[in-house]
Amino acid sequence: MNANDQALLAARPDFAAIARWVSPGARVLDLGCGDGALLRYLWEARQAPGYGVEIDDAEVVACVRNDVNVLQMNLEDGLSVFRDGSFDYVLLSETLQTIHGTEQLMREMLRVGREVIVSFPNFGHWQARLQLLLGRMPVSEELPYAWYETPNVHLCTLTDFEDFCRRLGTRIEERLVLHAGQAVSLLPNLFGSLAVYRCTRA
Amino acid sequence: MRRAKRFGRLLRGRAGYGFSFEAEFEIESYLRYQAEKFAKYFDANTYLLITRALDYFDPARPYGGDLVRALAPAQARFFLASFTTDWRFAPARSREIVRALLDNRRILSYVELDAPGGHDAFLMDDPRYHGALRAYFDNIER
Repeated sequence: MNANDQALLAARPDFAAIARWVSPGARVLDLGCGDGALLRYLWEARQAPGYGVEIDDAEVVACVRNDVNVLQMNLEDGLSVFRDGSFDYVLLSETLQTIHGTEQLMREMLRVGREVIVSFPNFGHWQARLQLLLGRMPVSEELPYAWYETPNVHLCTLTDFEDFCRRLGTRIEERLVLHAGQAVSLLPNLFGSLAVYRCTRA
Repeated sequence: MRRAKRFGRLLRGRAGYGFSFEAEFEIESYLRYQAEKFAKYFDANTYLLITRALDYFDPARPYGGDLVRALAPAQARFFLASFTTDWRFAPARSREIVRALLDNRRILSYVELDAPGGHDAFLMDDPRYHGALRAYFDNIER
């Protein structure tokens, strides 16, 4: 692993978990792919070819510069350009909380991918709970925005997300909860700040 | 749209409507000026041929309307750009090409720019469009 990759994994600890779950050579679709860092990493680490979807003009240019396949589209419009089951994995890395049509997108992801990997900041982390208890909206490393400028519209806790999966009839195959890059096994909904789930159609 | 905004119903140096066929509105004189310039740049017959070629452009036709099969022999990498205000070749058409290339598992990037210039947007100085194109060209091995 080179220095770039190490810096990347330090900044985005969910990437390592995602890469571990993606089998070599698998076809991946990364939704809200940013500058394409995850896709590039998956290509280098797992030889997994993929496409990214991104809406932001500057990020799309960054993807093209990173030599990553990118499609500029709005996730809120659905995934109609992709056929049923055309990807082994559909990834949604720290993007779930910014989506308005959350349920529709989850259904679309499960339609397009054999498996779905979702990561999101855990609103149930004790620091968030404490800040709310003290009367303020939580601001932390995972939730770095003040309430008036946050792109996050649908924050949830681990329990909320698991209820949501049950409602959608989605099977949770694997879960990894992290804090500061380390796996959390004790009271994960309280001590984990970042959650990564691997789901399939039930 | 932009032109309409720029000119509105401005009159050319007169106080009221003349109810004539003269160029009374600023927009008319602008269009006349552009048309005359255009007629000098382009040969009219060539232009007719080009517009017909555009009308007949249907790569899927020889394959029974199947664009996926039409693009199957292609080995190239693809870079597609469309503009949201382009009604001549709308983003929906470009997305059909994207879908067909995805089905063929081709290397592909697609930018869809929210630009006001309509079909001519690709002629304008749009830093996002030029930025994406430059980034793509920079990755082509020399």
